[in-house]
Formats: sequence, structure tokens, C-alpha cells
Amino acid sequence: MAAVTLTNVLKRFGSYEIIHGANIDIADGEFVVFVGPSGCGKSTLLRMIAGLEDISGGEIAIASKVMNDVEPAERGIAMVFQSYALYPHMSVEQNLSFGLRMTGNPKQDTERRVKRASEILRISELMARRPKQLSGGQRQRVAIGRAIVREPQVFLFDEPLSNLDAELRVQMRVEISRLHKELGTTMIYVTHDQTEAMTLADRIVVLRGGHVEQIGRPLDLYDNPDNQFVAGFVGSPKMNFIKGRVVGRNTRSVTVELVGEEKTRIMQPLAGAVPETGAKVIVGVRPEHFGNGGEGDADLTVGIDVVEHLGGTSFIYARTAHGEDLVIQRDAAKVPDTSEITVSIRKSYLFDENGQRLR
Amino acid sequence: MRYQNATAYRFLTPYLLIFAIFWVWPIISSFMISFQATRTVPWRFAPTFNWGRLIGDPAFFNALKNTLLILVIQVPVMISLAIVMAVLLNSPLLKVRGLYRFAFFAPVVVGEVAYSAVFRLMFNLDFGIINKLLASVGLAKIDWFSNVTPAMALIMIAVTWRWAGYNAIILLAGLQSIPEDVYEAATLDRVSKVKQFFYITLPLLKPVIVFCAVLSIIGTMQLFTEPFLITERGGPGGGTETLGLLLYRQGFRSLNFGYASAVAYTMAGLAIAITLVQLWLTREPK
Repeated sequence: MAAVTLTNVLKRFGSYEIIHGANIDIADGEFVVFVGPSGCGKSTLLRMIAGLEDISGGEIAIASKVMNDVEPAERGIAMVFQSYALYPHMSVEQNLSFGLRMTGNPKQDTERRVKRASEILRISELMARRPKQLSGGQRQRVAIGRAIVREPQVFLFDEPLSNLDAELRVQMRVEISRLHKELGTTMIYVTHDQTEAMTLADRIVVLRGGHVEQIGRPLDLYDNPDNQFVAGFVGSPKMNFIKGRVVGRNTRSVTVELVGEEKTRIMQPLAGAVPETGAKVIVGVRPEHFGNGGEGDADLTVGIDVVEHLGGTSFIYARTAHGEDLVIQRDAAKVPDTSEITVSIRKSYLFDENGQRLR
Repeated sequence: MRYQNATAYRFLTPYLLIFAIFWVWPIISSFMISFQATRTVPWRFAPTFNWGRLIGDPAFFNALKNTLLILVIQVPVMISLAIVMAVLLNSPLLKVRGLYRFAFFAPVVVGEVAYSAVFRLMFNLDFGIINKLLASVGLAKIDWFSNVTPAMALIMIAVTWRWAGYNAIILLAGLQSIPEDVYEAATLDRVSKVKQFFYITLPLLKPVIVFCAVLSIIGTMQLFTEPFLITERGGPGGGTETLGLLLYRQGFRSLNFGYASAVAYTMAGLAIAITLVQLWLTREPK
């Protein structure tokens, strides 16, 4: 087990910089998830920790030892790849033991490690099979098993579940979580799926365009996002954003009027700087923070486009008079059979024109 | 559906006719000719005439020995060389890769007569560059065309020069189909580059290597150009005569088509048999 520290880590391809000075501290035994949209640099960052990509600047340390110039094999890490990267011509048993056999590890120890990994992952009955004779979930288990037998200080997962179907993804998610509890090893996990990030992580690192947008515990990011990007990325369905304008202010709060909805005014307490009257702002409301009309601070009447019934919960896809799309979460029993619905905004977040949170 | 099929077959008819007349019929016809005595007029049916001769013909066994000798020495050497060339071509460190790819492939598109003439000049006893190079490092000159062993070596060198690059390009395609992350996983497994080559690259390249070997076996069984043009019709004294050359000599110089057909079928049969044995030996374990 080991802590991992990234200090001002840069990555350039030629003159093009894709990681712009990442600073991340990962504690010993912590499960950290790098999350962000495609092209945000999360996999590159993981590969830099693994040593599969060079570091253009800054410093990566594992267990307090700087790893910039250390060979991947010597970093004490094991990686699980998105495509599994199993050796197709070898059996499961050979896949698990290959690295140990090639490096002259004693036979008995190799057998012990393989047996332990196969028991942890419940793949003992698959040992004689080849990868092509396995399902996607079984292949992923073998890939994880290959990482386990190395007994690494740090596990790296590069979108390991993205090739699996939805049901299997949930199942494997639980398994990986169980594995972390069982092994207690530091794990760094890359995904573009915020649900995976929320359910697995001790802490989440949200990345966008090679910048670290926010680092925090899942519910902290959900409840207290630093900016509009994090607020929109974390949570499903995503947070609604409605344009607004400051129509009143004092030292501790602002009153915001929603654009096109002159009767809908929201009073937002602020601890920090208060924007000027007339300033354009963005009001963020999570789908579950819409109440029935009259229950909250501000009412809003919207036209209903589509209703998705998911059983206990329904999602109403609606549109404001100004043409802004909203998603409203409701108990299935409380969805009206009308073309319009009046909702109240029970809780909202305020962002400035640049998407930075006003608090 | 039936109407659509009929239309399709009407379009295919011209091709199928030509295929039947110029491809299928000669194959059947030559098989029938192999059972006829073709040195008499008119030809007469004599089922054991050619096949019986084949079994006791020293020229046939000489050609068979030469062909198999080239097969067992030249093909493995050429495939090994092609693998090395493919690995080098695939290296990210290699600059101007396109140029090398062209250079390796170029021998295949060079005219056979032109390349044979150049080889004859290069290996000439008195003024060839090869003998001059040998002399420059203190080695004796070799008479490549008058002695059997050097002549066979020359044939093998020429065939290897011509086809190694071609096979390397096919192997390169195979190499490029091996996912990079398998090597990355092996690197993280602390497996050295040399071991990665022997335990990952070669096993995963096996189907392509087998494909190249099968093509080479078939090509060697039919080998004709090099012994005909470089060592002057299988010289010295039949020392480099191959089955292809024997077939040519019997069929088109002695006009003994019956015997030539028997030789042709023997060549095809041997190529199939050797290929089947090789496929069996290199089959995937279940």
C-alpha cells in the first residue's frame, strides 16, 4: 500500500499541452476516481502514473519516492485495462501467472498468489479456459486477477467496466468495491461515468480539458460543487441551469429573477462577494429540488414535453416559457395528467457568467 | 429471390465459361494426359507408363531432392529473416518507414529476367562484386555457377532476396494487429522485451507465419525462374534442377506432356501434403 502524490504534473504532445499542472494527493489505501468527459486527460494522467506515458513536467511520487524516471515495472503498480489486455493465446491460469513466471518468482509462491486471486474473484473453475471462451465480465475478473497476483502498492483501473452491459457493470462495480475493502490497497480508477465515480470513490477528481476542476468526496461534490461544470457533471439526471439576472442585492444575499419569468424571483444568501444588480447569473436546480407549487421560495410554471416513468420515481421533461429545458423529479404518483405543471424551487445554486459558484 | 439469382448467374456466365475452359478443363485434361503415352502418335492410354517411370527416374528424384533441399533450408531462413524485418519495420524508432517498406517490397515488382541478370553479374567468378567482397576480407573466390553447393546457395540467396520483403510486409500487417495494450500489460508484468517477443509476439503471429510458410512452400514447389535464368537451366549438370524445371524440360522441350503432367500432379500433391502436415503441426490446441 502506498500514497500517491502528483505535483504540478504536465503532459505535452509536441507543443500541445493536455495536462496543465495537476496537483493531487491520494492517501494510502484510498479509492480515488478520476472522472471527466472524453478527452479530458484522465486516462493520460493514469498512464503517466503507470509510467506508460512520459511526464513532461512536475513530479509523480508513489510511497514518497519520485517515480518520474522509474520504469513502469518498478513502480509497484498494477493496471487493469479497458480492453482487458489479456494474453489471448494463454489460459486464465497462464494469464495470471505469466508475469511471475517470466520474472523467476518461486513456483510455490506463484501458485499461492494465483490461487488466492482466483478465490477472491471466484474464477477458480475458469482456470483452464482461454480468454475467447470467457464472457466480458469473466474476462474483466481475470484482468483484475492478473493485477492482484502482482500484489501491487497501487491498483490502476482504466475504464474497466465500459465494455460491459449495464447489469454486469453494476455487478462488477460492487465487486471492485468489495475488492477494495478486502485488500485495502490504494486504487486509482478512471471513468467517464459519474455514477461509477459516485458509487465507488472515497474521493473524486473531476477533470476537464486537462485541468483539475474539483477534488472531493462524492456527496461533497454533489452538494457543494465549485463550478457549473462540476455541478452539471455530477448527478444524474444532471442539474438544470436557468439563466437569471440580479434584480436586488444586499451585503449577505441577492435576489435573482429568472430570464423570461418575471414573477419567479429567488433570494439566495451569499457569504462571499455579492454580484452587482443587473449582473447575469446562472441558477442551478437539481431535478429533485423542485417541489410542488407553493412549497418553496419561487414558483415556476412549465410546459410538459415528456414524462419518463421509472417505477417509484418519474422524470418530467419540461420547458420554461423562455424555452429552457428542465428535468423535474417526482414521485410517480404525483405526476399530473396535464400539459403544464407549476413547481417551486426548494433549493438552488448560483453561478456567475463564467460558471464559477457564488456562495 | 430465384429470379435475382438467375440474373446474377447470367452476369457470371461469361466469367464461368472462361474459367471452365481455361482453368478447370486444363486441370482435368492434364490429369487424363498423365495416364497416356504421349511420345507415340496418336497418344495411347497407358495408365502406368508415366507414373511408373516417375518412380524409377533418377532425374525426378534429383529434382525432388533439390526442391526439398531448397524448401527445408531456404523457407525457414527466409521466414525468420522476414520476421526480423517486420519487427524492425514496426519499431516506433524507425524513421522514413515508408521508404523501407517500399524498399523491402520492391524485389517482387522487379522483372524476373532483369534481377536474374543482375544476380549473374554480381556472382560472376571474375568480376562479380560478391567475389570481390570475399577477396577484400581475405576469402577465396567462389565459382558460384560451376559447383553444385555454391549454385544451390545462390538459388536460395536469390529466392530469399526476392521474397523475404514480401513476407515481411504480410508479417508486418500481422504485427500491427496485435493490440499495444497487451505489450503494455506485459511491461507492467515486468516481462523483458526479448521475452515479450518470444512469448507474446511469436505466438500471436503464428497464424500469419503459417500463412507465409504455406505460400512459400507452394512457391518453392513450383520454383522455376531462378534455376532457369540464374544457374542456366538447373546447372551445373542438373545440380539445381527443380521439379518446376523438370516439368518444363519434359513438357516443353521434349514435348512429353504425359510425363510432365505426372510431374505436375506430383508437385501439387507434395505441396498439399507438406502444407497439411505443417497446418497439423501448428494447429491451435483445443
